[in-house]
Amino acid sequence: MLDQLARQIEALLVATESPVTLNRICELTGCGTESAEQAILRIEAELSSGGHAIVIARLAGGYRIVTDPDLGFIVGQLFEGKRHSRLSRASLETLAVIAYRQPATRAQVEAVRGVNSDSAMRTLLERDMIKIAGRQETPGRPLLYGTTSRFLEYFGLSNLEHLPRMDEMENLLKLSAEDIERMASELSEEESDQII
Amino acid sequence: MSADNQRACRIDIEDFEGPLDLLLFLIRRDELDVTTIHVAEVADQYLKYIREAEDLNLDVAGEYLVMAATLTRMKSRLLLPVERALMDETEDPMETLMRHLVLYKAFKEVASELRESESIWRDVFAPPGERERYKEEIVESDPGQTSLFDLLLALENMTEKNTPPPRHMIQKPLLSFTECVKVLDKLLSTKTTRDFGDAVGENTDEATVVSFFVVVLELVKRGWLTAEQSYPFADISMKRKEERWEMNA
Repeated sequence: MLDQLARQIEALLVATESPVTLNRICELTGCGTESAEQAILRIEAELSSGGHAIVIARLAGGYRIVTDPDLGFIVGQLFEGKRHSRLSRASLETLAVIAYRQPATRAQVEAVRGVNSDSAMRTLLERDMIKIAGRQETPGRPLLYGTTSRFLEYFGLSNLEHLPRMDEMENLLKLSAEDIERMASELSEEESDQII
Repeated sequence: MSADNQRACRIDIEDFEGPLDLLLFLIRRDELDVTTIHVAEVADQYLKYIREAEDLNLDVAGEYLVMAATLTRMKSRLLLPVERALMDETEDPMETLMRHLVLYKAFKEVASELRESESIWRDVFAPPGERERYKEEIVESDPGQTSLFDLLLALENMTEKNTPPPRHMIQKPLLSFTECVKVLDKLLSTKTTRDFGDAVGENTDEATVVSFFVVVLELVKRGWLTAEQSYPFADISMKRKEERWEMNA
């Protein structure tokens, strides 16, 4: 049997529209961060010992109750035709560059990938995985792109720090920052030539 | 592409996400280390592959050809004696390419990890019940996503909200003819000329003014009164015509 606090949190995680952050849980139930975390663990224990088909997902910076991924093949049938197709390799690579290097310009993405990424970027924008995050204050003021919370949710990430191999990638990007900039500026020069 | 072509080509160029991807593939296939590749070897492999693809009349994207040119130039640099001073000045393009390859390889690996997360999280479903019920009615639209109906709805909301509720007017009834005549009778005693303003008094409401004005017009018509106005909007001087004034009529 779950205690009162755990029951309250469980109810929140079922009814919420988007993942509830720990802070919000504390705010709504009036408990402290630590007791909220403990209560979440108790709910999880209860769910798994009872063999329930729902689990607590940690994603997009918060928690919510979802169906067990193992049962996706059953539940997925309810949404047949509505589910998005998987992202292409080109889209995933583009998304990876933007995710780790955001805000990033298209030229920077193309510099890393070594290939035109126009259509991949468009797909990602359409699918709300990336958004325009301003303009870079360099000649031509190219658009800057960043990831959305939909991106985090789609990959089950609770925040950007939970991207795979964050430290490793950050170091690598630091080391190659100059290379990327140089290649990107070469690319944007080529582009402006084309326009003329 | 037909199966025959694929076999002949062994590798389908469409399987690659660009020249870097192809290079990585060739390096791995030949069991070379990304950081210690020999440019001549890699360049040969790469050019061989591109040539095969072209022989098959495949569309080879420009980026692949640029890479072929870069590799060829690197190879030629190795074959030609280069002045030492010049070598020191310019950065070794091979080194740059290798750094680029390492960078790309890292992103490629991360992308495949994202692919794994994608397949797990695609199979997860959340209870959707409350989404529809408490959906906010006014959803902020992205630029270009607004339809004519949104505009009409907005206009309707605006006009409904900003129009003040109709004021219910409780009108003071107009004074009766007799009432007015009584007042005038008192005011216009024999042979005096009085102004319209005196009849209605100061600070009177519109209803009283209108009542008196209508009555005055009526009396003028009947010939009980003479009324004069020296200029537009000036006060009206009234004088009773004794012979016609029939107060008791």
